[in-house]
Amino acid sequence: MNSIIKNILIGLAAIRANIVRVALTSLGLTIGIFTVSVVTAGVSSIDKEFAKSMAYYGNDKLYVSTWPWSFDFDWWKYRNRPKIKEESLTYINQYSEYVTDVSVKKNTWIRANYQNKASWLQINGVYPSYGDMLSGTKIVNGRFFSQNEWDLQRRVVIVGGKVREGFFDGESPIGKKIKIGGVTVEIIGELKEQGMGMVPGGTLDNLVIMPSTTFKRILTRWGFDELVLQTKPEDLNKAKEEVAMIMRVARKLRPDQDDNFSVNSADAYQSQFDSLKTAIAAMGFMVTGISLVVSAIGIMNVMFVSVKERTKEIGLRKAMGATNNNILIQFLSEAIAISIIGGTIGIALVKLITVALSSYAGLPVEFDLLLIFYTFLICVFIGITSGMIPARTAANLNPIDALRHE
Amino acid sequence: MAKSKKEIISIKSISKIYHLGDNVVKALDKASLSIYDNDFISIMGPSGSGKSTLMNIIGCLDVPTKGTYKFQNELISEMNDSQLANIRNEKIGFVFQTFNLLPKLNAVQNVEVPLIYSSLSRKERLERSKEALNIVGLADRMTHKPNELSGGQRQRVAIARALVNKPSIILADEPTGNLDSKSGEEILKFFDQLHKAGNTLIIVTHEKSVAKRAKRRVEIFDGKITLDE
Repeated sequence: MNSIIKNILIGLAAIRANIVRVALTSLGLTIGIFTVSVVTAGVSSIDKEFAKSMAYYGNDKLYVSTWPWSFDFDWWKYRNRPKIKEESLTYINQYSEYVTDVSVKKNTWIRANYQNKASWLQINGVYPSYGDMLSGTKIVNGRFFSQNEWDLQRRVVIVGGKVREGFFDGESPIGKKIKIGGVTVEIIGELKEQGMGMVPGGTLDNLVIMPSTTFKRILTRWGFDELVLQTKPEDLNKAKEEVAMIMRVARKLRPDQDDNFSVNSADAYQSQFDSLKTAIAAMGFMVTGISLVVSAIGIMNVMFVSVKERTKEIGLRKAMGATNNNILIQFLSEAIAISIIGGTIGIALVKLITVALSSYAGLPVEFDLLLIFYTFLICVFIGITSGMIPARTAANLNPIDALRHE
Repeated sequence: MAKSKKEIISIKSISKIYHLGDNVVKALDKASLSIYDNDFISIMGPSGSGKSTLMNIIGCLDVPTKGTYKFQNELISEMNDSQLANIRNEKIGFVFQTFNLLPKLNAVQNVEVPLIYSSLSRKERLERSKEALNIVGLADRMTHKPNELSGGQRQRVAIARALVNKPSIILADEPTGNLDSKSGEEILKFFDQLHKAGNTLIIVTHEKSVAKRAKRRVEIFDGKITLDE
């Protein structure tokens, strides 16, 4: 053990003597480690953000829409589908075993303004029951609209968390009146601010929710309807099948006809997202793999130079009693040290950037301690694989020839 | 007179054969030699005589193709690389023509090199190295790097390095070859002292004046030992 340490120290001394060469050589590994860390950290951060966003759609809700929630673009299959109609809810209410609550969700985007400020907002028209179906967000100020307000088509709205900042300079929006498509509505509730989200269709912070009756009355613009169905998480898949059947009945489809609607849930996004995530990770790891191989070759090259340069020293050390293993350890530790230096710089860069990102851009980036450990392992592995051949060459040198080397 | 002393090295009828392409070169041809405790031997011969090969074998840097080589009754000719390394480390001190000091290490660190491959502690290694430098009269040059020392001083550091393991023999290959005559004389005088102090010395040289300083002269020609007196 003692002799191993002594030989490692000799190897490390060689690093100090050639610090510039070592720094340049380890650069490849720095880049490799940097990429792998950024990819890993990035993917896990996106993952977390996505999970947060997905919570809004809930794992206990079904959405009946014209289009499926997917990133495939077989639009010709779907473009002739009839619009979703609120009337279908009657069938679902009547026949469904698993659906516990329902609401229509009318969607449109429109310019809204308050005094001289204007902004595009997403408008949802829903039932009073939707207030209890909110997930991933909640009312933090004020209240949801009541059945009475719905019945009377009252012009009351609940707004997303960013509206306060956009229109009212941070003041409470409750009781304020804004204009939506030229109609004045009163804000009675405010949703929790979500932050930057990854939900398709934009952030929830610019959302305006109103009674669907009011929506029908004041907004005649382009838009589309969806049906939101509440069920239990464990019943989600059964409910999905059941709702599809009921929808077929509601639409009087013959057995040979395909569905002309889609029953969606958050897990559809999840699987889309998973494949996207896999693609990102695969790309990242490929880049990393290439840079690691290139840097391993670089280290090997420098080690060969180092062995060549110090042939005479190797001969002398062997004449003085160094065994082949002593020399092997000396050069292997030099290679591993170069590798670890590269990796350490890489990790330091990643750390620097994650700190910068989360403090300036407000983007939360995960930085894992385990990552440092894995990096260390990778570096040791690369050091050994790239240093082994040169170190063996050095160890097997004939002391007589090596001593004669000029 | 030598017979009464203890035999350290016993070389019996060793040959070393090199194959250079189709040519077979007999660098050593059934050479035999015994070296005793406190011998002071010079080995002389023209270049190509097998002198270097003999020295390499005595120094355990190489093994003979045929014949037996015993070092204090250990059979060197049958040893593997790491056994040879241990013998070199414990029993042989080398002095080279070109000194072979490591340029980035200072005098003490250079002297310490053989001890790194022994089992001594850091403290013992330092003490032993300082002691060896003291013997060669360089106590005031401990922290000097080789390029800050004269040729004679460098060779003395190298001798200190050869002495530091308290070896059974000191093997010097043309030790004065790279030195001016004054420094060379200084080194040879120092070898005399080492001999008087009880060390066993083997000097390989092609200079008659150097060879004459030894108490026993061996000459080698065409791989055979032609003179041993």
